[in-house]
Amino acid sequence: MADDEFRQQALRHIDALYNLAVYLTRNGSEAEDLVQETYARALRFSHRFEPGTYMRAWMFQILRNTFLTFYRLREREPALSEAGVPEGEAPMFHHAPVEDGESAGAHMDLERALGRIPEEFRTPLLLAEVEGLSLEEVARIMDCPVGTVKSRIFRAKERLRALLKDYGGTDLT
Amino acid sequence: MTGDIQGSGGDEVGQLLRERLPRHQAPARLRLSVADALDPPKPRRRPSLWLAPALSALATAMVMMLWLAPSLPRSSPDSIQRLSRAVMSEYARAVFASDVDPGLVPSTLPRVMQESGVLLQWVFTGDEDIKLVNAQPAFLEGRRALALTYQDRDGHSVSYIIAHGPSVAIPDRERVQIARWRPVVRTEDGLSLIVWRQSGLMCVMVSDLVSASDLGRFKEYFVKVRSATEVTPNY
Repeated sequence: MADDEFRQQALRHIDALYNLAVYLTRNGSEAEDLVQETYARALRFSHRFEPGTYMRAWMFQILRNTFLTFYRLREREPALSEAGVPEGEAPMFHHAPVEDGESAGAHMDLERALGRIPEEFRTPLLLAEVEGLSLEEVARIMDCPVGTVKSRIFRAKERLRALLKDYGGTDLT
Repeated sequence: MTGDIQGSGGDEVGQLLRERLPRHQAPARLRLSVADALDPPKPRRRPSLWLAPALSALATAMVMMLWLAPSLPRSSPDSIQRLSRAVMSEYARAVFASDVDPGLVPSTLPRVMQESGVLLQWVFTGDEDIKLVNAQPAFLEGRRALALTYQDRDGHSVSYIIAHGPSVAIPDRERVQIARWRPVVRTEDGLSLIVWRQSGLMCVMVSDLVSASDLGRFKEYFVKVRSATEVTPNY
């Protein structure tokens, strides 16, 4: 594939990549860093991309691998805050339009619940349900069999459902 | 596609995700920066026929300029040079601060954050190589800032200054890859600087670690501090 064509195609997926990056890192500036690094790597390894295959899935795979390589390392570092310094999870960044109170509450519950699901369950759920990728594509991104993907998505949904029930703000019955 | 993974009520969860989970759009600055990074270098054009006389005229002009140079006003320094001068005075203030008590730093941070208008959601307080020894409000080119001072095992001071204002242009060609970031690294006036933007704030790390081996150490400190510190403006 010609370089120009590769670049144009790659740039088309920036919103989808950023969206997943936000749900992985749960932080806007970290998500920006992650997307930038993903593109840097995609460009570096563009010769490995097989024309005719699905570029979006390939880029999601790079993004997830980058996240696991760098960001997981950070999570394993010792606690860095001390008394007197604000603690707690960094807030999620929103670019969502202004909403009424009820729907904003539902979004917050949903995001909060999603944030409590481990990454290996959260990512396939988002890729399949939000991004609309096939189970085969998700399996390739997650580097695991399709059966494992199905099981993880199933368990992620059960967990999400239970969490939303606990929060009580979102009716799933 | 999800028919076989719905489970009890799973389809409703899927629908909820598709309909109610906010989609985050890539900010314009990210779009620009990625497009810029993907932009291929411009191909070199073949020299045209008019190039030789043009170069000759340019050379004459340059000789004239050199001859006249002493009487011309000095060219203004670039934005990072200006920044480095402002940073140097803050660095000197941090190095010579006498009332430093590292044990008090965590308790002074809330006040320092309030006075500087910079909120530290996370802060790197140190490890076996480098320790946070001081935090104070500062001014950088007339803008409010927060200065954190670290000291390494050999007594080298490293200042981390976070300032309001996007006035400094970060030249893309001077950026270098350090771990997963691409800040500008420079040596100015006997000090090493690492400059980057984070959450709309201007961030500078400055140190007297300037030799090739020391610069490697300085970059390691940058990775530690950058990966463990979250800053946001707090007006």
